[in-house]
Amino acid sequence: MRKKNYAAVVEDRRKIFLNFKESILEMSDFNHLNKSRSSGRGPEYVWEYEYYDDEEPVSFEGLKAHRYSVVIGFWVGLAVFVIFMFFVLTLLTKTGAPHQENLEACDKHPGLTSCVVDISHDQGSGSKVCSHSLMEESHSIFRCSINEEEQCEPVAGHQGYQGRLSVRTSSDVQGEPMGLRKDREANFLQHFNIPNFVNSEHSSVLGDDDLLLCEQPIIMDSETRCNSKLDIIS
Amino acid sequence: MENITGVYANETDCREVQIPNEIFFTIAMVSLGENLLVVVAVIRNKNLHSPMYCFICSLALFNTISSLSKTWENIMLVFTNTGHLNSRGDSVLKVDDVMDSLLCMSFIGSIFSFLAIAVDRYVTIFHALRYHNIMTMKRAKAILSAIWAFCGCTGVVMVVFFHNVAIMMCFIILFVFALVLILFLYVHMFLLARHHARKIASLPGSTKHHNLRGALTLTILFGVFIACWSPFFLHLLIIMVCPQNPYCECYRSLFQIHVILLMSHAVIDPAIYAFRSAELRSTFRKMFLCSDSRLCH
Repeated sequence: MRKKNYAAVVEDRRKIFLNFKESILEMSDFNHLNKSRSSGRGPEYVWEYEYYDDEEPVSFEGLKAHRYSVVIGFWVGLAVFVIFMFFVLTLLTKTGAPHQENLEACDKHPGLTSCVVDISHDQGSGSKVCSHSLMEESHSIFRCSINEEEQCEPVAGHQGYQGRLSVRTSSDVQGEPMGLRKDREANFLQHFNIPNFVNSEHSSVLGDDDLLLCEQPIIMDSETRCNSKLDIIS
Repeated sequence: MENITGVYANETDCREVQIPNEIFFTIAMVSLGENLLVVVAVIRNKNLHSPMYCFICSLALFNTISSLSKTWENIMLVFTNTGHLNSRGDSVLKVDDVMDSLLCMSFIGSIFSFLAIAVDRYVTIFHALRYHNIMTMKRAKAILSAIWAFCGCTGVVMVVFFHNVAIMMCFIILFVFALVLILFLYVHMFLLARHHARKIASLPGSTKHHNLRGALTLTILFGVFIACWSPFFLHLLIIMVCPQNPYCECYRSLFQIHVILLMSHAVIDPAIYAFRSAELRSTFRKMFLCSDSRLCH
């Protein structure tokens, strides 16, 4: 009786995910060998004799390795894989990404002057060729915000977009030396939001989640994407 | 029958590891609460009606459905154990089938939602300015409808045709394919982000620290997904590949632990995807604290 209750509980648990066991037993060679025994029962056999009620239970005699070796092997393999992935990712950041050369080539893109021209030009230009298309787009947006804010609104096409662009208040920077300009860009980009973001009152994204701070595209929060652009777009 | 009982008294057998119903209940309740919260917050806040949050909401909905059906099943199990329900009755089996198909649907739906979120993030990164043209709300809704329809059909098909090994293989292949694609998308995004981070390495602010953080975040995101999902899928594989092997038998004895892992992923999901959003968190605050309206104004 205890065995039957146990089997009933086990049976119910097993039925959670579609008892493959019966189907496999029906198809396996084991059942072919025991056809004479099983054929007489019909469908009743499938329902009543669940996993632990097999005619011949799995034999545990003569196991060479530990009986949980598959379990241990699986979890150890999983842990190794995850740690390996972590180290590969960390190493990649140190040695550099493969498309660095492409980026250098695309850096020589000519300067862009007007907002409308920039954006439409950028959208047409080979963003597929250069994976850094974001960089050019950001340059163009940056200039838009500095000089031609109003022109950018219809181009951007999002109501919140101009709100973000208007944060930047400093003067024209086109004549500045490279180093200073980089700093300004980075500074600007801290407040920069790409079009798809939540239009909330919080203009500052720097006070975000500590985990997300300067966290990258990995966390796709609308505000933190701004922070992510800080790193993505130079 | 009694002979078999004698065999199972053998100590070297791998008895199925039983997990108390209370733990199932607790995890299901916590998961249900969290995911319902996310769904309600996304629906109530107009700011969150964007494709990105639609996908996160869809993920939360699938998790909600899986928690609900697990809870329902646990309740039925409790009734069965106390003798109020005949576990072999016709109606009980039908209800069991419905629950199974809901669970299948929610699991496949979760996987597709992860994929949709990863693709959305990918488009955000690599096609930033054209994002609004590529991922309109209309397209997002179309994608979500397709996902839900596909998952609904697949859930029903899997329960009706579970005898068929090909269907199970499809399920597993789908999982592996989704895993590989998600990994590829995120690693590509990560590489681009790191590369640009190096370009502005002149900024004070420990690029190395950020690099580690990015790698850690990605590892956590992916590691949790793999750790929670792959034991169950390996279980499915093992049932098909080596049903009689004693080592495989010992792996299968941990079935309930694998189910617990699946459910706990539904608990961890909101923390990884939804709660990271400041807007969502502020919506939660408003929802809870503003039952007393003074605090909101």
